[in-house]
Amino acid sequence: MKQFLAVFFMGFKYLWRNPLTVSVIICFPIVFILILGNALSSYITPVLDFEPLHIMYVTDNEESMFAEFLKTEDISRFLDIEITDEAQAVQSVTDNDICVAIFEKNGEISIIKSSVSSVGTSVVLAVIDSYIQVSAAAEIAIANGANPFEVFRAINSEFAVDAVPLGNRVPNAMDYYAVTMLVYIMLLAGMNGLELFNKSLISDTGRRIMTAPVSKSTLICGLVAASTLTSFLQGMITFVFTALVYGVYWGERIPLVLVTLFAVVLLSQALCIFLILLFNNPGPPVAIIQATFFITTFVSGGYAKISFGGAADKVLAYAPNALAHTVIFGAIFGGNEGRMMFSLALLFALAIVFFVLAFFVGRRKLA
Amino acid sequence: MIVSMKDIVKRYQSHTALDHLNLSVNQGESIGLLGPNGAGKTTAIRVLTGLTGADSGEVMLFDSPMKENAADIKKRLGVVPQDLALYETLSARDNLEFFGKLYGIKGAELKTRVDETLEILGLTDVAKKAPKKFSGGMKRRLNIGCAVIHKPELLILDEPTVGIDPQSRNHILDFVVDINKKGTTVLYTSHYMEEIEKVCSRVCIMDSGNVIADGSVEEITRSVIFEEVIYLEVKEPSPSLPENIKKIQGVKSCDVDGRNLTIISKSDSQNLARILEVATPFIILGVSANRPTLEDAFLSLTGKKLRDGDA
Ligand SMILES: Nc1ncnc2c1ncn2[C@@H]1O[C@H](COP(=O)(O)OP(=O)(O)OP(=O)(O)O)[C@@H](O)[C@H]1O
Ligand SMILES: [Mg+2]
Repeated sequence: MKQFLAVFFMGFKYLWRNPLTVSVIICFPIVFILILGNALSSYITPVLDFEPLHIMYVTDNEESMFAEFLKTEDISRFLDIEITDEAQAVQSVTDNDICVAIFEKNGEISIIKSSVSSVGTSVVLAVIDSYIQVSAAAEIAIANGANPFEVFRAINSEFAVDAVPLGNRVPNAMDYYAVTMLVYIMLLAGMNGLELFNKSLISDTGRRIMTAPVSKSTLICGLVAASTLTSFLQGMITFVFTALVYGVYWGERIPLVLVTLFAVVLLSQALCIFLILLFNNPGPPVAIIQATFFITTFVSGGYAKISFGGAADKVLAYAPNALAHTVIFGAIFGGNEGRMMFSLALLFALAIVFFVLAFFVGRRKLA
Repeated sequence: MIVSMKDIVKRYQSHTALDHLNLSVNQGESIGLLGPNGAGKTTAIRVLTGLTGADSGEVMLFDSPMKENAADIKKRLGVVPQDLALYETLSARDNLEFFGKLYGIKGAELKTRVDETLEILGLTDVAKKAPKKFSGGMKRRLNIGCAVIHKPELLILDEPTVGIDPQSRNHILDFVVDINKKGTTVLYTSHYMEEIEKVCSRVCIMDSGNVIADGSVEEITRSVIFEEVIYLEVKEPSPSLPENIKKIQGVKSCDVDGRNLTIISKSDSQNLARILEVATPFIILGVSANRPTLEDAFLSLTGKKLRDGDA
């Protein structure tokens, strides 16, 4: 126990004295959410006032949800949208009269852009991005039992939070986005600890520790505890930030949300320490963790829902992101209690599995 | 017997790093492991401290095998690795405290030990600073501090003075001599024979994974180098002088070239004194002797220089 505490305190200090970790821990989530959040949250007053940007819009359905979305006041504040035909739009872009044209065909959205204004292009991309978020939010709300028509109306009335009292609250785009991002960030949190793990298990310092009378399991537990606590604090910072600055609604069951985030952090740490012991090198774990959770974030509807169909979808429903979303959205907007608890238990179980694997590999690797 | 390594073989893929190595260290001894790059010194220490397993052979520390008694053995052992093994972003004090705690030291005792260690190694003023801001010599000293905080019975140092200034180097050497005098058994590896001569009572010369000579510095040089050269400059040497010198037992030849006499003699004799005695009636202008050094012994044993690129 004394040795565990020694490793824990050392690890905690190490993580917080490392300028890189600290900046990643504190700034990364805030910057991340700030940049992307700004594109989304229409209720944050634009810093710069500018003339609406003139663009063209070609659609095969002027009543589509996207068309309605483009008509909202928030959008028209900075986009001056002219509905036209394809030939005209292409010509205007080619002549550099406008910087971007948006096409909607069979519900699919694409753009063509001119070679000049990249600022204009990014504004339009941000709008399309917001739309994707909003539709994902709508999908969740509908899946959670909201009336589709009401949801649609709510979205069109300024992403409104208060507009649709249907027993359950309907998430606005930012609410939805904050959950997805926080889960994503927490899944990557194990990487905060990788440098500490590498230092203490693999490097020369690690070998020196192995000449001291400390067991591998004590060492692993102490390191993971330090890194878990650090990452969890990171999560808390982001959590409070989203609630205060963006007014994200985290529901009435905050403890359940936090326990879920904790499970996600623990899982990430266990996975990281297992991988670094397996590869004896922090490189592969970074690549694996980033790739895996980037994909599962997509798959779990984090950005735009992707379907692989059939068996793959069934398996991917158990991706850590999906499990965490089930619990957190359930906690905020009301969900099937049994399914939520099962998902939460499964998250903890996954964490334990990777821990056991880490001990197993560690015992074999460290003499 | 504090250390006993018998017939150790350690292979890395096709390369044999330790080739039937035998090494033993007695209580209170200060033993130097001298060998060129790649001789297998670090590998020997890794096998000894249990960081890597040997392919065959037997390792005993404090009369028991590491596997059976790891916790107890490790407590009595202090290891200074060849490469710096610290937490560069934590303060010197934090590093010492952490390693102290791993060895089960706590509370007031820990504080005293940390203060003592900082003092002895001359790091008190920078205790709160992180080693990444240290000079090479300071880092090396802290690297040693972390291995002695728990007062080990056996201290193993793997090239502890690599790449540092002479002042830090002397500090470290004095420290090792001192700790050995106080009863700590020392195993010291280096490719600097001056260091080994200063710190160690016994030397093992390693080459290609094997100990090829073992004994005191004098024993080793004597066993390898048989002759020394003595140069004598005398004001007006008489023809009888070389004749008389040649009569001294162990002198093999004495050539005269004007004032200069070049004498070749058996190396372990006390012949320099005897030659001077014979030459007393003359006015002696100069004397010098080329005593064989450990370096010469090493060269003659292995056909190699101790360090790459040295003249
Ligand atoms: N992990 C390893 N994998 C493969 N070969 C190794 C490994 N460690 C050491 N060797 C090889 O074993 C031999 C002995 O290396 P070792 O580090 O023990 O030498 P050394 O005497 O400590 O040298 P130096 O004075 O340079 O520190 C060298 O030829 C080295 O290349
Ligand atoms: Mg070495």
